[in-house]
Amino acid sequence: MSVATRLTWVEVKLFTREPFSLIFAFVFPAVILVVLAGIFGSQPDPDFGGVSPSDFYLAGYVAVVIAATALVALPVHVAGYRERGVLRRFRASSIPGWVVVLSQVAVGLAAGLIGAAVLLVVGVTLYDAGVPESPLATLWVFALASCSLLALGFLIASVARSARAAQALGMILFFPMWLLSGAGPPPDVLTEGMRTISQALPLTYAVRALQDAWLGRPLDPTNVIVLAAILIVAGTLSILLSRR
Amino acid sequence: MPSVIEVEHLGKRYGSTVAVEDVSFDVAEGEIFGILGPNGAGKTTTVECVEGLRRPDAGRISVLGLDPARDTGELRRRMGCQLQQSALPDHIRVREAIDLFASVTPGGPDPSSLIDRWGLADRSGTSFSSLSGGQQQRLFVALALVNDPEVVFLDEMTQGLDPAARRTAWELITEIRAGGTTVVLVTHFMDEAERLCDRLVVVDRGRVVAIDTPQGLVARFGGGIRVLFSAPDADVSWLDGVRGVTGVSRHGPQVKVTGSGPVLALVASELVSRGIVPDDLRVEQSTLEDVFLSITGGEAEPDG
Repeated sequence: MSVATRLTWVEVKLFTREPFSLIFAFVFPAVILVVLAGIFGSQPDPDFGGVSPSDFYLAGYVAVVIAATALVALPVHVAGYRERGVLRRFRASSIPGWVVVLSQVAVGLAAGLIGAAVLLVVGVTLYDAGVPESPLATLWVFALASCSLLALGFLIASVARSARAAQALGMILFFPMWLLSGAGPPPDVLTEGMRTISQALPLTYAVRALQDAWLGRPLDPTNVIVLAAILIVAGTLSILLSRR
Repeated sequence: MPSVIEVEHLGKRYGSTVAVEDVSFDVAEGEIFGILGPNGAGKTTTVECVEGLRRPDAGRISVLGLDPARDTGELRRRMGCQLQQSALPDHIRVREAIDLFASVTPGGPDPSSLIDRWGLADRSGTSFSSLSGGQQQRLFVALALVNDPEVVFLDEMTQGLDPAARRTAWELITEIRAGGTTVVLVTHFMDEAERLCDRLVVVDRGRVVAIDTPQGLVARFGGGIRVLFSAPDADVSWLDGVRGVTGVSRHGPQVKVTGSGPVLALVASELVSRGIVPDDLRVEQSTLEDVFLSITGGEAEPDG
């Protein structure tokens, strides 16, 4: 096996041995989905753009799963690696940085897919929610949103000096995004100020793009462009910062 | 023996702090070479420059004929290192770690035999964070040897080990050398250096203070041999004339004779022939520790 395959496999196993990551990525979004869909029901609702709240939240929570792994689990893991000397250990043994990045991206994508599958099962069995209308578009939007948020996660990891700092930073970014980007209260009930803030949050664009693809609506190019821009800017910044 | 490592006038500073001022030494093939010095002397910085982990500001380094700053890739494949401050992911298991590091340079020793040899066979499914300090160190040494290196760097490898584990580690280091690998050992434990190293360099405040064999250093800086005994009533001033004696002093009943060479045997036979037979005749010899304290100005610290 090559180093890249070997490390990816190790990282997948490490992820499954971390109860915090597992709960945060798989259990937490599923529980919130159950609660929200339970509150708002499964009848088409004008507050949710005419779709049923359970459909609305199912697609949105796929984005939340991605964000939980990318903005919290990944930065804590990678900043911990730097803080404790794991990265130095890897570098001294010629395990290249890109292999570390690749393995984390692979874990992030795998966790997102599994998390999405959990949500789909929960949504479909409990609330009769719909499966993606256009699976192919859903898949590539999912991949783009994942890479974009993972790049943001790497940026947090390269700014934070320790695992604790990364966790604090990740949480500060994650919770407002979760509540304001369309996965919390329905956007139409948000006040004007909160809606403005939500416009500035990366997760908003991931939620919107995923909902469009999932519900079979035409994709709004704005969302895709913003996600691609985040990927490029955050990716470039974190590469530059980690070469200091 | 050809040189495996050549360091000439190495210099490295971090901002305005000078970590290494001027360090030069050669390491011959197949030797165990020690780098000794108090905390903050520049030992680790020196080794990290040699390993290619840091770029020196001045001087020339050659390892296995390669420039660590330029030929980093090839050098890393042919050397092994155990770093002072490093760790593995908490939940990685011993076997997974060995397999991961082995996958960088295929064709090294068989991972299972490496695990056996370093006494980790019954720990191969244990996660890194559950290993004892000694087991973690052994794992790091095994990882340093996973590519069958020509030269291996061990930075404070016995740090934090209990005495028994340190003894075991020493045996293992001797074994590595027996396998034909050159060993560079960074340490601040004098007994370790004295016992293991063929030659060593003493570094202090970023400069080389001395390079020699441990015995050579003791002979040069140790201040000779001290013979001590009690002779409450006898006049011993005549001891001055015994061959090899350089000084005689008395503190109450206690006589201290300093000298060199076979001074103990000569003093003993003279004492006996004059009817002085002390019960407590004994000899004190300088250890590397005394030498170290005298040449680094007594700034050795117990750890760090």
